[in-house]
This record gives sequence, C-alpha cells and structure tokens, in this order.
Amino acid sequence: MRQIVHIRLGRERYGPVLDLQQRLRRLREKGGVPDILLSVEHEPVITLGRQGGEEHILASRRVLERLQVEGHQVERGGDVTYHGPGQLVLYPIVDLRGWGRDLHRYVANLEEVMLRTAGDFGVEAHRRPEFPGIWIGLQKLGFVGVHVRRWVTMHGAALNVDLSPNLFSVIVPCGLHGVEAISLAEVSTGPVECAAAQAAALRQWANVFDVEVSTVGREELARWVR
Amino acid sequence: MDISIPELGDVDEVRLVRWLVGVGQTVQAGQELAEVEADKAVFVIEAPAAGVVREIISAQGESARPGRVIGRLEVQ
Repeated sequence: MRQIVHIRLGRERYGPVLDLQQRLRRLREKGGVPDILLSVEHEPVITLGRQGGEEHILASRRVLERLQVEGHQVERGGDVTYHGPGQLVLYPIVDLRGWGRDLHRYVANLEEVMLRTAGDFGVEAHRRPEFPGIWIGLQKLGFVGVHVRRWVTMHGAALNVDLSPNLFSVIVPCGLHGVEAISLAEVSTGPVECAAAQAAALRQWANVFDVEVSTVGREELARWVR
Repeated sequence: MDISIPELGDVDEVRLVRWLVGVGQTVQAGQELAEVEADKAVFVIEAPAAGVVREIISAQGESARPGRVIGRLEVQ
C-alpha cells in the first residue's frame, strides 16, 4: 500500500511554511524524501494565486496591517483566498507519478477528503460544477489551489472549521462576487474543533487516496531540511 | 521540437496562464517554459531539451487541449 508521512505544523505564519513547501518539493523531485502531508493552521494571511487580481482585496493596506493580516502572491492555481486560525490547511507534497498522473482526479480527491470530513461532523457539503472547492448552498466551506512541477505537488486544500476571526470579508473569495465563506462550526449541530477535524481529515485522506498515513514529529522534518 | 500541452489525466482543456520565456531565449533542459491551469491546479511545462525558443504559438489566457502545440524549440 502507498504511504504518506504526515507532519503536524500547528499554528504558523504563511511565509515560513511556503518556504518549507518549496524546499520539500525540491527534495521530493529528487526522491530525497517520501510523499509528505503537512497540516497547519495559519496566522491571518491573504494569498493571491495565479488568477488573482488585487481588486479582489477589499481592505486597504492600512486596515490589513491593523488587523495583522499578511499578504503573499503565490504560484498556486486560483484567485484570492484567506487563511487564518480555525482553518485546517493541508499541503501534500506528493509525486503524482505514483498516484495515477491525473490532475483532475487529484483535485477531485482533495475535494472528496473535505466533503467526507464535513460529513463526519454531520454536515452535507457539495461540489459546484465550474467552481472548485466544496460548498454549502452558495457559501464556500472548502478551498483548493495546487501547483505541480515535475508531477510533484505543493499548496493543497483548506477547510474552514471554526474561523476566529472570520476575515474572509476583506476579500472577494476566489474572485467570486457575492460568495461568502462559512465554517463547519456554523452548521454542525455538535462541537467542532480543529484537532478533531484534522484527525477526521487524515482518516478520510487515507480512505480517499487509498494510502497509509503515518504521523511523524517535527524532528523528522528537521532531519530532511537541515 | 514542439512545445506541447502534456497529457494531465482526465483533463479536457487547460488555460495558458503565462509564458516564462520569450522568443529567441536560450533555455536549458528542464527549464520552466510556461504554466497552464485546470481545476485550480497550475502545472509547469518544462523544456524537453536545451535549445532556443523559436516560436510562441498560443498566447497567455488562451485555452488549449492536451497535445496541442503551443510553441517551438530549436534544439541545440
């Protein structure tokens, strides 16, 4: 059975994790590390993907500074998005040559992991044709944005668990006017915590991708990227 | 040598996000030439060999099917 190594990063600023992804991907391209799944909660940050327009950032630079929201222009697909506390972010660094060489299937599986994770909390989300991610009605619950070089991935998926604060209001999410972001905690009848959502997402990752997920500590990471 | 949109699995069409090189530019084998996007996934097209970019056929923003030739490289 295929294997993937999961590393829990905890709460981190966006920049250092982006740098870490890039370093791990270079190593993965050379076969120096196994397939890796990073999980993280970010400090508040806005990122602009390849299709992103700054007009989709609604708050001024001064307001963003006051709110302590960082900004990054990144290589992933998609437009503008927000990450922050209470959102579970998954960054797979995987070589898709061992996973079927299918970009569409990979993105669909990222969505499927989030759909099933939401389902574990009694929340029925769905896909919308033409609008990647996962949705509850016209509100967006989960996001995808991927970058692939030599078939090795980076960036990934983000699931709103219990956003605090919810600063999606400072952007036009994904460049789609009128779209609001929603969290699992707003629609689930039971309690939803990021740690429980993470555990569920890892279980569903194993199911959807048919892989064995093993979690290692950050010391393993330090060994790879020292 | 043709620079083509690669087969990306069950992907019917991609959008050419941007060229990373220009006509007349010398490139190394494996150098990043262009980015295409489908389903919010960006895929990097690399130079299959060292050479000079002789022609850019598809412009940024255009949609193309896998297999389509989007540029030409003179191998050196």
